[in-house]
Amino acid sequence: MRPTQRDGDETAAAAVRRPPVARGLSPVATVARMGNTATGSTVRAPFAPWDRRDLPGRFDVAETARRVGNYAWTEMKLFEALGGWVATVPELDVKMRFGTHCYHHAWHADLWRKRLPELREMKPERLTVPANEAMERFVGALTEPEAPELTIEKLVGVYRVLIPRFIAAYTYHRNNTSEITDAPTIRSINFILQDEYDDWRDGEMLLQSLITTPDHVRRAADHQQKLEAIMVEAGGITGSGSIGGGDDTTGNSEGDH
Amino acid sequence: MRQFFPVEDLARDERFVQTNMAERMKDARTVNDVGSSRKSRGKSMRLTPDRHDASDGARSLMHGIMVGEIQALEGAGRTAHDFAVGDGTGDTIPFELKLDMARQAWDEARHVEISAKLSDWMGTELGQFAENTVLFEAACSNDPILRLAGVNRALEGLAIDVFTQMKEFGDLAGDPYLEFCEDWMLADEVTHVKMGSDWLRKVTEHDPDRRAKALEFQQVVDKLFSFGGARGETEESPIGLARRFRELAGFTDDEVDQISQMDHDALEERKAAVRAYRDKAGVGSVPG
Repeated sequence: MRPTQRDGDETAAAAVRRPPVARGLSPVATVARMGNTATGSTVRAPFAPWDRRDLPGRFDVAETARRVGNYAWTEMKLFEALGGWVATVPELDVKMRFGTHCYHHAWHADLWRKRLPELREMKPERLTVPANEAMERFVGALTEPEAPELTIEKLVGVYRVLIPRFIAAYTYHRNNTSEITDAPTIRSINFILQDEYDDWRDGEMLLQSLITTPDHVRRAADHQQKLEAIMVEAGGITGSGSIGGGDDTTGNSEGDH
Repeated sequence: MRQFFPVEDLARDERFVQTNMAERMKDARTVNDVGSSRKSRGKSMRLTPDRHDASDGARSLMHGIMVGEIQALEGAGRTAHDFAVGDGTGDTIPFELKLDMARQAWDEARHVEISAKLSDWMGTELGQFAENTVLFEAACSNDPILRLAGVNRALEGLAIDVFTQMKEFGDLAGDPYLEFCEDWMLADEVTHVKMGSDWLRKVTEHDPDRRAKALEFQQVVDKLFSFGGARGETEESPIGLARRFRELAGFTDDEVDQISQMDHDALEERKAAVRAYRDKAGVGSVPG
């Protein structure tokens, strides 16, 4: 094994290979800036100059697990709703999109369930819960429409209310968690967000193609208003503080690190 | 949204006309046409491009596949929805089974897309043929394990047979487009049947009565879909039994033998019924 500086006794060969140190910079920083092609040295800074990830994050392990549990619960309710609705919509293209998106959200729920034990929650079902009572009520109202003539209401609930809330909560989480300690959550969020954007676009385009009369516009707006009111009460998918601000003390341990 | 969704409420646009197995069997044209055009079909009853009715037969079969895929999509979606997460006892299903059902919903959605495009390719309009809702009926049981037995094992098993047949048809007809699509759908169906086989064994591991009831239900559905001998291992049946793919999907040799025997019995029953009908009507006997 090749001796390292950490071993405390630098070899003569290593000393010869040591690159010149620029004024005011540590040897490692100098190498990182200068590169090592000239000297053949393999000494590199642990973070390349373009790697600007930061260590601090707003969420500790417990708060991350709480949020992830809320995501898992809501994604599960969403995939169940989409699966159940497939048989209730007469429009063939909507039927197929619901079937496709059903799996996307099931996969997201699975990713979060698998993340929970990594966050010290060995019984994922304990944290796979709604953020609060209003969030549970929201899902009840979201899944209420069943009749075949209510496709607009079904689409509005998912694509104009819930999925935009998912995009917001995931984006907030990704941008505020530690980029180093919580990298696995960020990786999942990045995959999931891509689905959310694509599915939102699909759903919004279906809605635009179905909303063709003033009555349709009124129906869409009325249903959106009804659901938004409950969602505001819930404070978002993870409750108050879903996208920061608000009451950060509701069951979470968020704080600046 | 209701927990369980009845077959008569399945949502369709106005192009679709629905029927069910009972109505179909009441139709004399369904029961009594065995061998009616046998002469022009040659010795084999298999759907092959050289049959005089190959074009209509293939189009009708493809439309049947498409509406079957729609119902399979609906059935998988309902199973993902209808049962709470639990250990598999009572009205609960394991989360991973729910996940598999959601995955199947996506697969079936793609199959609807594929078969809609193939139908168009073959010159068929949506709704040109009646839709038999029997597949979704099998997905209406209150016991999720019965749904797995009826849909994933019996009906998706039939899909393996049908897709194998259609793939061969595409090959013989020199239609690589059809053959390519059927090959992909066949891969998914083997996966779905395997899901059914695996979950049935896992969830009923300590409940032999429930397993027996589920397998009995599977037999009922299998028999219904023996189509009076429409599927079987001899050339007398239009659709072959895809043994190899069924084995890949988790069927044991004994189980495949049992289905084969059931198909054979169904064919003999039907031939006897047709003979009796023709004797009564004085139109002569059916060969074979």
